[in-house]
Amino acid sequence: MDVKVPDIGDFSEVPVVSVLVSVGDTVAAEDPLIEIESDKATMEVPSPADGVVKDIKVAEGDNVSEGSLILVLEAEGAAEAPKAASPEAPAAPQAVAATGSAIGAGDVHAEVVVLGSGPGGYTAAFRAADLGKKVVLIEKDSSLGGVCLNVGCIPSKALLHSAKVITEAEEMAEHGISFSKPEVDLDKLRGWKESVVKQLTGGLGSLAKARKVQVVNGYGTFTGPNMIEVDNNGEKSTVSFDQCVIAAGSEPVTLPFIPHDDPRVIDSTGALELEDVPERLLVLGGGIIGLEMATVYDALGSKVTIVEFMDQIIPGADKDVVKPLHKRIEGRYEAILTKTKVTAVKATDAGLEVTMEDPKGEVVDTFDKVLVAVGRRPNGAKVNAAAAGVAVDERGFIAVDSQQRTGVPHIFAIGDVVGQPMLAHKAVHEGKVAAEVAAGHKRHFDARVIPSVAYTDPEVAWIGVTENQAKAEGMKVGKGVFPWAASGRSLSLGRSEGLTKLIFDEESERVIGAGIVGPNAGDLIAEVALAIEMGADAVDLGHTIHPHPTLSETVNFAAEMFEGTITDLMPPRKKK
Amino acid sequence: MAIEVKVPDIGDFTDVPVVSVLVSAGDVVAAEDPLIEVESDKATMEVPSPAAGKVVEVKVSEGDAVSEGSLILMLEADDGAVEEAPAPKAETAAPAAPALAATPAPAAVTDAGFGKTHASPSVRAFARQLDVDLAKVNGSGRKGRILREDVTAFLKNSTAAAPAAGGVTQGGMGIPPIPAVDFSKFGPVEDVEMPRIKKLSGPALHRSWLNIPHVTHNDEADITDLDKYRKEMDTMAKEDGYRVTLLSFVIKASVSALKQHWEVNSSIHPDGDKLIKKDYYNIGFAADTPNGLVVPVIKDADRKGIVEISKDLMELSGKARAGVLKGPDMQGATFTISSLGGIGGTSFTPIVNAPEVAILGLTRSKMAPVWNGEEFVPRLMQPLSLSYDHRAIDGALAARFTVTLKTLLGDMRKLMW
Repeated sequence: MDVKVPDIGDFSEVPVVSVLVSVGDTVAAEDPLIEIESDKATMEVPSPADGVVKDIKVAEGDNVSEGSLILVLEAEGAAEAPKAASPEAPAAPQAVAATGSAIGAGDVHAEVVVLGSGPGGYTAAFRAADLGKKVVLIEKDSSLGGVCLNVGCIPSKALLHSAKVITEAEEMAEHGISFSKPEVDLDKLRGWKESVVKQLTGGLGSLAKARKVQVVNGYGTFTGPNMIEVDNNGEKSTVSFDQCVIAAGSEPVTLPFIPHDDPRVIDSTGALELEDVPERLLVLGGGIIGLEMATVYDALGSKVTIVEFMDQIIPGADKDVVKPLHKRIEGRYEAILTKTKVTAVKATDAGLEVTMEDPKGEVVDTFDKVLVAVGRRPNGAKVNAAAAGVAVDERGFIAVDSQQRTGVPHIFAIGDVVGQPMLAHKAVHEGKVAAEVAAGHKRHFDARVIPSVAYTDPEVAWIGVTENQAKAEGMKVGKGVFPWAASGRSLSLGRSEGLTKLIFDEESERVIGAGIVGPNAGDLIAEVALAIEMGADAVDLGHTIHPHPTLSETVNFAAEMFEGTITDLMPPRKKK
Repeated sequence: MAIEVKVPDIGDFTDVPVVSVLVSAGDVVAAEDPLIEVESDKATMEVPSPAAGKVVEVKVSEGDAVSEGSLILMLEADDGAVEEAPAPKAETAAPAAPALAATPAPAAVTDAGFGKTHASPSVRAFARQLDVDLAKVNGSGRKGRILREDVTAFLKNSTAAAPAAGGVTQGGMGIPPIPAVDFSKFGPVEDVEMPRIKKLSGPALHRSWLNIPHVTHNDEADITDLDKYRKEMDTMAKEDGYRVTLLSFVIKASVSALKQHWEVNSSIHPDGDKLIKKDYYNIGFAADTPNGLVVPVIKDADRKGIVEISKDLMELSGKARAGVLKGPDMQGATFTISSLGGIGGTSFTPIVNAPEVAILGLTRSKMAPVWNGEEFVPRLMQPLSLSYDHRAIDGALAARFTVTLKTLLGDMRKLMW
């Protein structure tokens, strides 16, 4: 049961002067739990019942009011069922009764143990080590870096670069420069991709060594509030810790009606393995991952079909921002099927027989390979966090507060496992916050926006408030849209479909969001990220001199479109 | 492992002197415990411990000048304690406790308001370090942007506004401060921590004393007859397990007097141009306890008889001595009585318990020769010392109130009126 501050008179925000119990203490009804102080006197808050203290939610110096949660008490004889964090995203972190009871010192002891060495995990580990903590980093795979470095962001970018060279060479024919059709040596391409990965993950290993971060290989699961058991191919060891950062990441979602064990059904990891170039590839899921892999396989020569359940590809971004990408790939790919869902996939000798359902009815088609990229599932449940008393919701997410703390104060969680968006740069930021808080710093996750980028061709990037969101939430916004057809630099790249759109708060005229589509959109969005964090408005962006001719000018121009001060185009309305 | 504790960002100051070193090597400190005190030209600031642990070595001494980043001491943080495999207390999480202590308390900042402010990431981080809620800070930058200086200024103002706890004898309101004296030059001294309640009541009393134009009006009531009656009542009450003291009667009489002179039961409106008339009579009484002075309140004293008031007094005094008074027990007084009668004295100047506007002080009653027109007769006289807020109460009113009070105490029958 939750024990809260009772009616203490008219006082609110009174400081806790002492916490009289610790986790694990057995208390009787009316035993004092904490002492609080008003401007008149100190008062003790008595326990409402007999029980065992499961978690303490206040510390000395905290201010409390009537109703503030003091601690979680497991009432005698009435152990509460574990509470799952509610499905609505920013749930308050919760603790449950720890199911694990391992205590004492493990084979290895860490002041901070980080579970998972993806970008968030290794960042947390390295930062904590730099702040003087004795750190152990647990990784299930043989190389550090997690999904991002090994089977995600990095290898996909290596392949996307190759894809870009192929398509650009192809398109140069229109400009009078013709190349012969490229010969693709898949083994060599794969080897190159792997060398990039190896260089980075190897670098991580050296960085860990230089920081005296001890890497423990194996699959880590909690066995108690201060203990993790690591299983390295059957060889078990234990790591005890004072504080822990759960950075367990996510894995691709599998669907019950798809024969995932058929080698022709692949996920993003399989797609990056580049086993062959299928003649007809079905990409299930029109999100970032599916579209990036589609870009690669299209360049390599596959006929690609995209299936998306929503009414547009990249459903998180505004339709006008996605449209240039849609238009371009519509011309290159076999088909882009929106509002379509796959209901069955049957493995036959001829290929994978896929049943799809769109508003008009059912279609059956056969593909050589199916890439399933319908989302990722957090690994919260796979590390047995409940053994440490950390609440994991039914989808595998772990709720945290603005300091990345779970409901168990000495255990933090970061990255994919704490919620959307599942992006490496978000995890990295959270990893730093967690490490600094663990080292005693007063740090919070105070970033306002997290950029998203699809490294497709053209790239699609968005940040902050989208038009869709503004409409849905009834926000009063203005926008400035600059079409790249008026950008000399874009035209000289042979591309004119790009678009830079800035969303402004109508009242303050501060930029609160952006959507950019076009080559290098992912790099351009960074300026808007800084602008939003700094609270810049349209004039700030318009009066900042951007180098000419660059694509970065389009941000400046979009601000001027909003202001009505643009000269390279007719201003949309006279404002000033 | 030992961590270096350095001087945090202390604003624009550099080379400020260390005025006191509050810990020594070997001391065990909790997170946020003060380690040293530094002094700028504006104020003295305590540098708190970033973590719980044991002081290994102190690197500064009094008189040293320090700046941001100066090494103060080496601290052996507590979180290594788990290695000693603590005895299993319960099945759950015995080792969690040391780790808990090492993690700093979450700040009392509401993330929702904080997230909407016009401040850059570096200023946000700075505010977090200082536990400043940006939602409460006014930005002085262009278009209301909150600058780093705004955060520092906010903090400076709020620390200045905070009661000068810890007995720092510094001047407020332009009053010259009392210079600190090194008493050890004159003889052996020892610093004794003030009890917690005293630390709290001190600033409140100081606030009242500085804000309220105090006047104290002295008079005497003849309680010869009243005391006889009280003793009779007390004898009966004793059998019932409670006592009847003079205070019960003074409370009863005060309520009647307050009803006749409502201003004495009022408060000054925050606007300063109105009095708030209160149609209820809650009488606070100062109680001396081992931990310090507290003021429990007898609620709705106008609706209670002597018996009930006496029982309330017993109960609240008992609670006060046991230190178990609850917030509501000490709230809502409209008038306060401070009785030193059990100890002695002839008159004194009690400090008005703001926002009340008057307080009645009682010292020891004594037998005195009183001229009854023909001869001196021995009468039991009770001194009354009424301190009042001259903004709310004029001298004439205070005198009238006191006369009413003394008339009531002198002739109990009038209490029935």
